[in-house]
Amino acid sequence: MSRCLSDDALTRVQVQLATDAERAHLASCAACTRRSRRARHELALITGVLRDTPEPRPRPAVLRRRWMPAAFGLSAAAVALLLWVEVAVWRAVTPVPPTMQPQEVAAILADVSASLFSVTGNPAVSGTPIEIDDSRLTLDAMAHEVDSTLTGGEP
Amino acid sequence: MEPSRSPDTLVTAHYGRLRRLCRLLLGDLQEAEDVVQDVFLKAHEAARFGQPPVDWGAWLTRVAVNACHDRRRAGGWMRFRFWSTQVDDAPLAAEMVGPADLALGAETRRHIWEAFRALPRRQQEVFALRYVEERSTAEVAAVLGLSAGSVKRHLYRAIRHLRRALGDAT
Repeated sequence: MSRCLSDDALTRVQVQLATDAERAHLASCAACTRRSRRARHELALITGVLRDTPEPRPRPAVLRRRWMPAAFGLSAAAVALLLWVEVAVWRAVTPVPPTMQPQEVAAILADVSASLFSVTGNPAVSGTPIEIDDSRLTLDAMAHEVDSTLTGGEP
Repeated sequence: MEPSRSPDTLVTAHYGRLRRLCRLLLGDLQEAEDVVQDVFLKAHEAARFGQPPVDWGAWLTRVAVNACHDRRRAGGWMRFRFWSTQVDDAPLAAEMVGPADLALGAETRRHIWEAFRALPRRQQEVFALRYVEERSTAEVAAVLGLSAGSVKRHLYRAIRHLRRALGDAT
């Protein structure tokens, strides 16, 4: 006795694609006959569902509900991560330029002034220390200094 | 077979069957009704101005399948359909009660429908005509313009897929 038919072979029998040997086995095997009857019953069920029942509505809304909380959570996490990078990491690794001291500002201004308004056409003698009067290191004093330099001391 | 039938008789005899077939192929009742109306318009024109077919049933089926084919190929509306499913699409309670409903649970039915929709278009057409419409293999082949062997191979693949879906669901 040959081996029993597979499910695919039973399907081939149903659609008349089976070989003579498969058909002969089915005719002689009670177990395969039962399985074939069950397969026909399943096919009838499938056909009945497709013929007699309305197609279920698609489930995009359900799917959307399922992944929307995850999407919101991921978005919130991404925003929090960006904020943390900006506040904690980025500022920690970025060097902050040191604030200039008033003496340095005054020295730079004096250099610029000497270069711009040199009588001889040469910049001020380098290496000559500039006398800095600390009492004149306010912004108003510096502005007054620049004005008087520009106007030649006239009011 | 029925060349002298009046349009009203044709509609009475074939409207429900064609609507069911088109709904199966298109997955949308509104679209199916539009297609069936177009089919009967063509039938009216054929009866009035052309050569009336010998077998109206086969002719109507062929035109309906081709019209569904064209609609599906046009695309677009299918995506719209999935985003516009409204309360109107919900089946009436009276429509839902049937022998198949009693035998199978809702989830199993959903599995079967999803498996059917996952089939290639040609396999859907072959299966619908052969088993839902209960046409012979030769008739299916004639309607779809395929050989009988090709119809059987499509049927084999479709049944195998659907039975596996049913087995997974139960």
